[in-house]
Amino acid sequence: MTPTAPELLHGCVSALATPPAPEELGTFFAGKVALAVLVNALAAQECATGASVRVWENRAIRELLAGADSRYDGRLSGALATSKEISDGDYSLANLDAANAELRRRLIALHAAAEGHGDALLDRRILALYREMAERRMLSLPQAPTGSDPTSSSDAASLNSCA
Amino acid sequence: MNAIALDPEPASLEDGLSAYLSALWGGPTIVENLSRIPGGASRETYSFDVVKAGGERRGLILRRDPKGSLIDTDRTTEFLAYQSVQGLAPVPEPIVLEAGCGPLQRPFFIMSRVDGGTASSPFAPDPYAPHAAVLGRELFSILGRIAGADPAGMPISRAFTAPLLDQCWSRELDYWEEVIYRDERHPQPIVRAALRRLRQNPPPPAQKLSLVHGDFRSGNFLHDGQGRVLAILDWEMAHLGDPLEDLAWCFDPLWSHSDDNRAAGAVPTDEAIRIWTSESGLEVNPQAFGWWRLFSAVKGQGIWTTSAKTFAEGGHDLVLGFSGLYPARRHDAIIAEQLERLVLVEGWT
Repeated sequence: MTPTAPELLHGCVSALATPPAPEELGTFFAGKVALAVLVNALAAQECATGASVRVWENRAIRELLAGADSRYDGRLSGALATSKEISDGDYSLANLDAANAELRRRLIALHAAAEGHGDALLDRRILALYREMAERRMLSLPQAPTGSDPTSSSDAASLNSCA
Repeated sequence: MNAIALDPEPASLEDGLSAYLSALWGGPTIVENLSRIPGGASRETYSFDVVKAGGERRGLILRRDPKGSLIDTDRTTEFLAYQSVQGLAPVPEPIVLEAGCGPLQRPFFIMSRVDGGTASSPFAPDPYAPHAAVLGRELFSILGRIAGADPAGMPISRAFTAPLLDQCWSRELDYWEEVIYRDERHPQPIVRAALRRLRQNPPPPAQKLSLVHGDFRSGNFLHDGQGRVLAILDWEMAHLGDPLEDLAWCFDPLWSHSDDNRAAGAVPTDEAIRIWTSESGLEVNPQAFGWWRLFSAVKGQGIWTTSAKTFAEGGHDLVLGFSGLYPARRHDAIIAEQLERLVLVEGWT
C-alpha cells in the first residue's frame, strides 16, 4: 500500500521537527523543506479524492467478481458470491482500504484462475479494469510557484536519486 | 578495501574524516566545507574539500551507509562498479572503500567530486532543453559502450556469479518478485498480473553478458547544461546481466519527462536505439525489449513497494514517502497500459 495521508503528514512533521546537523544546514535542509512541500501537496490530493476513488474501485471489483462465470466460484471457495458482502463501512479511508484489500485478494485469485483456463474474455475485462483503477489513483505533481520549482531546486537530487 | 583503526567516536564527522584521511595518506589532512547534499535514501552523501600537507586541495564525495536504506544495496558493488568503468564511461574516481563501522560509525566510501554539473530531476519538464538532443546522443552512446564491453576482466565480476545467458531474465525476475511479495502492505493485483505474464512469456537469451548499471536513467547523471554528460552516478544496483535491461529501464515512461516520443526526455526513441546498437554492436530484439520494458516497470514497483514499507515502519525519510506514493501510482498505470497492449496486440498468453 502506498503511504497513507496521515503517514505522509507525520513524516513531514518529523522531518521538519528534527534539528539539522551543522553539515546539513545548506542545500540538504533546503531540499528537505521543498520535499515536505511536495509531499504535503500529494497528501492533500489524497485527502480530497482518496475516498471517492476507493468507493469507485471497490464497487467496480465487486461487480466484476459477482459477474464472473459461476464455474470459478467453486474453485475459489465461494469467494465470488460472497464478495458483495464486503462492506465499505463508514467510508473512512481506513475502512475503505480494508475492504479494498479483501476485494483485491479475490480479484487476484480470479485473474490467475482466468489465465489458467485461457478465459480471454474475462482476462481482457480484468486488464481493462486494472487500467482504469490505475488511472483513477494517479496523482499530479503540483505546479511550482513562480520563482520556485521544487522539482528542479535543491531537492531534485533527492527525488531523482530516490532509487 | 581498507581497515584503519581510529577513535570510534570522533567529535564530529569532519573530525572523523580528517583523522581517517590523515591516517590513510600518512600526513595531516584538513577537511573543509563539509556539507551534506541530497543524494537519495540509499546512502548519505556529503561534499567536502581536503587540503593535504603540501597544500594540494581536492574536492571529494563521501557516501556513507544510512541507518535505514531504501534498497538492499552493497557499497562494495557501487565502489567496484566505479572501478570497472574507468575509461569506459565518465564517472568519479573511486578513492577508498571502508567496510568497517569504526571511523565514521557506519561503512562508507569516498570518491572524487565532479564539479560544474547538475543532476536534473526526472520529474521536471524538459530539463535538458535546449541541448536535449546532443545530451541524449551522448547518454545513449555511453550506455552502448557499457553494454558492448566485456565484463569478464572488470573488478565487479569478482562480486557476482555470472548468470547463464538464458537465465539473466529469471534471476532478475526472481529477485524482484521476492521483494514485492515480501514488502507489499496491500494486495497489488496489477504488478502480480505482470509478474505472472513475464514468467509465462520469457524473452530470448541475452545476446551477451554485460555490466548492467541497474539504474541508468534521466536524473542519475551530471551534465553541464550545455549538452555534455559529466558523470554517470548511482551504481549501487550494478550487476551482470542482459544489456537490454539498462536500455529498457532508461526508456521507462517514468523517466521520460512526460514525453513518450523521447527516451529519457532527451532524444527520439528510434535514434536512441540506433545510437545504442551502433556503439554496442548489439541488436534490439522487439520481443525481448518488450519483455524488459514491462520488467522495468515491475522492478520500479518493487523499489517503491519497499520504500512505502520502510517509510510506514518509521523510516520517516521523505524521499521514501514520496517514492512510495507518486512513482508507485505512476508505475501501476504504466504496467497496466503495457500489460494490456502486450496481451491484446503482441499476443502474450
